[in-house]
Amino acid sequence: MQLKGKYEFNGTQQQVWDLFTNPESLAQAMPGCQELRETGPGKYDALMKIGIAAVKGTYTGKFEIADPDPPNRYQLIGEGSGSPGFVKGTTDIQLTGSNDKTIVTYQGEVQVGGLIAGVGQRMISGIAKMMLNQFFKKMKKELKASGSAGS
Amino acid sequence: MKPAAFDYIAPKTVEEVISLLTTHEDEAKILAGGQSLMPIMNFRLGRPGLLIDINGLDELDYIKQQDDHLLIGGLTRERTVERSPLVRDLCPLLSQAISFVGHTAIRNRGTVGGSLVHADPSGEIPTAFCALDGRVKAVGPDGERWIDPGEFFLTFLTTSLEPTELLVEVKVPVLPQGTGWSFMELSRRVGDFAIIGVATLLFMNGDGTCREARIALGGVAPTPFRAEEAEEVLAGQAIGEELISRAGELAGEAADAEDDYHASAEYRQEMAKIMVSRSLRQALARTGKGN
Amino acid sequence: MPDPEARRWVGKRYKRKEDLRLLIGEGKFVDDIQLPKMKHAAIIRSPYPHALIKNIDTTQAEKLPGVRGILTGQDVKEMSKPFPCGVPIPPKYYSCAVDKVRYVGEPVAVVVADSRYIAEDALDLIQVDYEPLPVVMDIEEAAEPDAPVLHDNIGSNIYSHRLMQYGEPAKAFEEADLLVKGKFLFPKYGSTPIETYAVVASYNPVNQEFVIYNNYQGPFVNHSLVALALGIPENKMRWIVPTDIGGGFGTKTGVFPYIALIALASKKTGMTVKWIEDRREHLLASATGTDRVTYMEAAVKRDGTILALKDKAMDNTGGYIRAPEPGCAYRSTGNHTGAYQIRHLDREVMVVGTNKCLTSPNRGYTCQELYFSVERLVDMVAAQLGMDPAEIRFKNFIQPDQFPYTTATGGIYDAGNYQKAFQKALDIVDYPKWRQEQEKARQQGRYIGIGIATIVDPSVTNIAYVTTALTPEQRAKGHPKSGSGESMTIKMDPLGQVHVIACTNPQGQGHETVISQIVADELGIDPDGITVSNVVDTHDRVYTITTGSYSSRFASVGTNALVNATRKLKDKLFKIAAHLLEVSPDELVLENQKFHVKDQPEKSIAVRHVAGTAHWHQTALPEGMDVGLFASSLITMPTSKPPDELDRVDSSNTYGFCCEVIVVEIDPETCEIKFHKWASVHDSGTVLNPMILEGQVMGSITHGLGGALYEEFAYDENGQCLTASFQDYLCPTSMEVPDIDIGHVETPSPFTALGSKGAGEASCESVPVAVANAIADALAPLGVVINELPLTPSKIWHLIKEAKAKQA
Repeated sequence: MQLKGKYEFNGTQQQVWDLFTNPESLAQAMPGCQELRETGPGKYDALMKIGIAAVKGTYTGKFEIADPDPPNRYQLIGEGSGSPGFVKGTTDIQLTGSNDKTIVTYQGEVQVGGLIAGVGQRMISGIAKMMLNQFFKKMKKELKASGSAGS
Repeated sequence: MKPAAFDYIAPKTVEEVISLLTTHEDEAKILAGGQSLMPIMNFRLGRPGLLIDINGLDELDYIKQQDDHLLIGGLTRERTVERSPLVRDLCPLLSQAISFVGHTAIRNRGTVGGSLVHADPSGEIPTAFCALDGRVKAVGPDGERWIDPGEFFLTFLTTSLEPTELLVEVKVPVLPQGTGWSFMELSRRVGDFAIIGVATLLFMNGDGTCREARIALGGVAPTPFRAEEAEEVLAGQAIGEELISRAGELAGEAADAEDDYHASAEYRQEMAKIMVSRSLRQALARTGKGN
Repeated sequence: MPDPEARRWVGKRYKRKEDLRLLIGEGKFVDDIQLPKMKHAAIIRSPYPHALIKNIDTTQAEKLPGVRGILTGQDVKEMSKPFPCGVPIPPKYYSCAVDKVRYVGEPVAVVVADSRYIAEDALDLIQVDYEPLPVVMDIEEAAEPDAPVLHDNIGSNIYSHRLMQYGEPAKAFEEADLLVKGKFLFPKYGSTPIETYAVVASYNPVNQEFVIYNNYQGPFVNHSLVALALGIPENKMRWIVPTDIGGGFGTKTGVFPYIALIALASKKTGMTVKWIEDRREHLLASATGTDRVTYMEAAVKRDGTILALKDKAMDNTGGYIRAPEPGCAYRSTGNHTGAYQIRHLDREVMVVGTNKCLTSPNRGYTCQELYFSVERLVDMVAAQLGMDPAEIRFKNFIQPDQFPYTTATGGIYDAGNYQKAFQKALDIVDYPKWRQEQEKARQQGRYIGIGIATIVDPSVTNIAYVTTALTPEQRAKGHPKSGSGESMTIKMDPLGQVHVIACTNPQGQGHETVISQIVADELGIDPDGITVSNVVDTHDRVYTITTGSYSSRFASVGTNALVNATRKLKDKLFKIAAHLLEVSPDELVLENQKFHVKDQPEKSIAVRHVAGTAHWHQTALPEGMDVGLFASSLITMPTSKPPDELDRVDSSNTYGFCCEVIVVEIDPETCEIKFHKWASVHDSGTVLNPMILEGQVMGSITHGLGGALYEEFAYDENGQCLTASFQDYLCPTSMEVPDIDIGHVETPSPFTALGSKGAGEASCESVPVAVANAIADALAPLGVVINELPLTPSKIWHLIKEAKAKQA
């Protein structure tokens, strides 16, 4: 499925860039992320427990912050697999800042496979969008929190 | 399609249930009708460690009238509510909505409480509940509380019920005489999940104008929701075809549908408009004031 | 045989003998088999449509208490060979993925454990490392030279490719007044029988014999293929198919790779292993019909005569091709021109592979794909000529006095009266009235449409047809194949009670019942007292490679074998009676269970006594006669011959006729479809049991409706299956099926003993296109092009929207 959208952040482009390339912030914001371990420059292994209500699954995943063009854009490449199936995606993240506001635009392609793809079609794209929403909300909160702590 | 191993317990009282939920929280799931939970477990999409079977809690199975409300116990079977003369008489929107839930065999086991807690975005009972401004009573370790209409459904399959709470009662209004009501659904086959479900209510003034309109849509957003702009267009008005079309359009615009294999987002959006209009027409006819 | 008027049981609504046991849960299915120390299997399946298997780590899974053993692709490769298949370069198709997976759901390993629950727990612990490969999902893309290749040993995704010409198509195209062409897309859909695949396999290391209970439906050629793959002689592998199977429809021809897989699991673990496929597995990785892209063009005269057809058909058998494919492309050879007198044909046939699950025959076995193109095109021709679509069909039908009619492609149509049957359907619907209604409706902005399909339903399979996949030169070098044999044995006990041993392998068609009716009429006895055994046992039954129930062959070759065997028995009874009465057999008459001399009723002997003598007083029998009373017949239809050097073949042996006339209305807002009237008229020759036939007809209509509006094995562009549960694979329920007026015409087949032909597949072949034609007719004023299925309301809505935008 295609996913795209944009969010406005109250911060300079550099601040937002730092946030979006900081693996700890990403781990905090990603739904269900339990651990994130660096395995190479820009590369991470992750353990994620993702679920909604009764529907839950554990996924082992890999992330990569690829082709960084600081502080403007990078590609976030991720994949996770577990018994419910696998998720793979490549997302282009672009930052456009002016003064104290930065717009983060994302555009990507996510593939879902395995059990959930076969029996969960009805809600997959909706749930994916919802999780993205959650992710960006959390990132906004983190920016706010780091800002109030002084930068 | 065999579930992963789980523990099972069948408590006899609500207190026991709360105690178990407090101990196990997220690891436990309530088993009521099981019509949604069993497939989830059999597909291993969900693996609760503990299944708390509440089917023995007969005290949660009731339908009674309390002044201008109906109180329905959380464990009341959908089929019981569907066939209840009290509900058909006093809150027919709910019985009609339930008649669209799956097939009879499913409704024989499924419960009203279970359906609400499961919070399927296209669920008929959640959609009707949304139009009715229903309230639920939850019991938890800190006692009981009522959850207001509009605050119950949060997102896909998620309500504001805490992991330590049990839904024990559902409260819906008795519809005043002369209220127009309608539940309609578009689905691929009879009994399938709704592509769009619509619940409408027209509360009328003595002079034949509409005092308040309620339009709830299911299946076109993460939760059922009320099309407020569409409702406002009708409030206080004498309702005719033009207003019905306008309300339909506004409701359609409020829908946030997704493409899936069965229907495109564009089709769903357009169907929201069509079905809301059709439902309003049916509701209006039931007020006896339609032309 | 008493002539039709004297039939007491055949043709009557005799109640099915099978029903009581099925209704009270006393059927005997594979899952009812409980063997000592039996274990249970679960299969881990690929979540990727195309990937290399880099590694499988089963160490954690093996440690789980209750796990008895795990079989991987490497084991399967060591323990077996790829399945043979009738294409020039077969893919290496094993019962399990070896180093590559080629469709979502492909088996990757099998766990054997004490229970299915534990086996599935173990699946969670198996780690498979995949390296995804590029995916190809589109049929036409798969045939392109730059497509990702599924099988390196083949080098392309084209499994089979042939060009065939009949008559003089080029000349016919030159002589045409009009050429009409279209592109037609038929979806991948199937039969989803209520009972899924089931296998219970044991291996005896002492005599190296496999005993495998399974619900295979035939043809038993696949028993030979599995033996070859396992590297064993056929008599070391015993297949036993129990009395009851919960539906086959061709889908259960595709269980054979799982038979091999579970047999290997039992050999490796030394245990008896039961595997019951669950519904998700069935929707991912059992067997479906092929999806097909067809380009078809008709050469037509101004008066509506269709001179010739030119078509290119591309079938998709998925990640691999397996027997009996490439049957999909060649099965309909004999009836390619349907009900029409089309003598010139130019065909290009292609079978390709994409990353979808595999195929098998599916109720109608590509006649639905074929007729979707032909009947859509006929309607398009009618529209272009300004002719009524019913009229153009009457114009082109084969005439009643032309039967038996040999088609341009070698099919020998036995009997038919297409005009009569079609007129009956038109009368039932009151066709002229609905054309008037349609006119009125159009003025009101309503969409009413009338859909017609008139098709020839072939039954019985002449296995020769699969060799049309080879060129005449290739065939000349190899071993010819032909035939459609079936086996029946009938015995009579010392008291005159009859038992029939049928090898027809039914999956719910009611053979036990119909066999009883036929034998009762032949012998003048009561059908209630006749018992029938239809367990197929490759050790204990007399059968051949064509044995089984598929392509509706029971009513033709099955009944031929039965009548033949029964008459042999009857003949023997006559001879014994004559011998005992010291007269010649033709002086005797059989009446009320007694033989007596014509006009001398007191000179008689009861059947009971004849039977008793045959068993008890064996030396009283005529010289040289076998003792006891039994007779067997294992016969083929005589027209089941190999293809000739012009690729002509009688691919089937009896040809019924079926037509649908359907009136629909499309809701202009929601685009939901309503049915106003539906006539379905069938000619399946002599009707053996009208009640059973009605069930078959309603079933095939519903099945066809599924393909038209609801059912599809759908994949996204990344190769993920979207329809792995009944939530998304939508089978019509009784609520979706409108009232149908079913009519019958009987033109008895001269090639069958009772005049009967197959019936169960006909409406599967006609309904999808009839519904499509109805929708196209309803939307004709908008210029909407209808050329694919299923036609969902959302799709129709978009088609209307696009058409309106174009018109604006």
